[in-house]
Amino acid sequence: MSHGELTGNLPAEPEKATLEGRNKVLGFWLFLGGETVLFGCLFATFIGLRNQIGDGPSAHELFNLGMVAVATFLLLTSSLTSVLAIQAMHRHQARTMVGWFIVTALLGLGFLGLEIYEFFEYVHEGHTFSTSAFSSSFYTLVGFHGGHVAFGILWITVLLLQFAKKGLTVVTAPKFYVFGLYWHFIDVVWVFIFTVVYLMGKVG
Amino acid sequence: MAAHDHSATEHSSKRPHVHEGPKNHYLSFILSIVLTILAFVVVYAEIGKTFTILFIVLLAIIQVLFQLAFWMHMKDRGHTYAIVGIAFGTVIALTGVAAVVFWLWW
Repeated sequence: MSHGELTGNLPAEPEKATLEGRNKVLGFWLFLGGETVLFGCLFATFIGLRNQIGDGPSAHELFNLGMVAVATFLLLTSSLTSVLAIQAMHRHQARTMVGWFIVTALLGLGFLGLEIYEFFEYVHEGHTFSTSAFSSSFYTLVGFHGGHVAFGILWITVLLLQFAKKGLTVVTAPKFYVFGLYWHFIDVVWVFIFTVVYLMGKVG
Repeated sequence: MAAHDHSATEHSSKRPHVHEGPKNHYLSFILSIVLTILAFVVVYAEIGKTFTILFIVLLAIIQVLFQLAFWMHMKDRGHTYAIVGIAFGTVIALTGVAAVVFWLWW
């Protein structure tokens, strides 16, 4: 509980200490509302087209649920480690926060690696972007999510580089907090992808 | 509203802040894992298509509500506009999904 480790006189919840910080958090929630609409549209399209398989493989033949389960576990754990990072930030333990965010980024990378491998395998089984309406909507939905994960990893990397320069202040704290929200949102979207795309694909 | 925010800031800076422990976050994590495994089990048990789909979607919604409340701090004070923002997005997203589901099942 060493208050002041790298941090000087930080207020208790540094992300909410300034009006700018509070506005960032509020603005980010509104952005997440827009993201919800984006993914809602992609989900609706996928649900509408998921049985239109043409000459390509069906979801039931294609999906390897073991690998999806591992990916789910990685992303779920990374969501937990990012909330632990924010808790460390609230206790002003900047180094602990950085440590948890590095773990978060590594788990995200693991998830992304599995997804790339999975897409690679599907393409070899004749499930390319233009095979069928099912394959197009599948790659668009799951690929958009993977793109969000990739962007999140870039984002936290840049934030950690900025941390190395500026430390934890009332300016950098809202950025970490907002990244945490983004990362949880990615996990929330994955819960639905996992359910609607993979599990419902197995059900038929 | 502004006065209220001001007093909240005063409050947290003058009194020693009580930190929320990680207990709720670990509970959400364990709950998420349990719900995910349960969804797997229901799918492999092959109980019946309609029931399985409705049940696993319900499990997903429960899991997401817990993550929103605890991991994304929506249960904390001062999240009124956050709730409005995300709820507005959710209503539009669900309208799209409901339209397609209705169109398929009609």
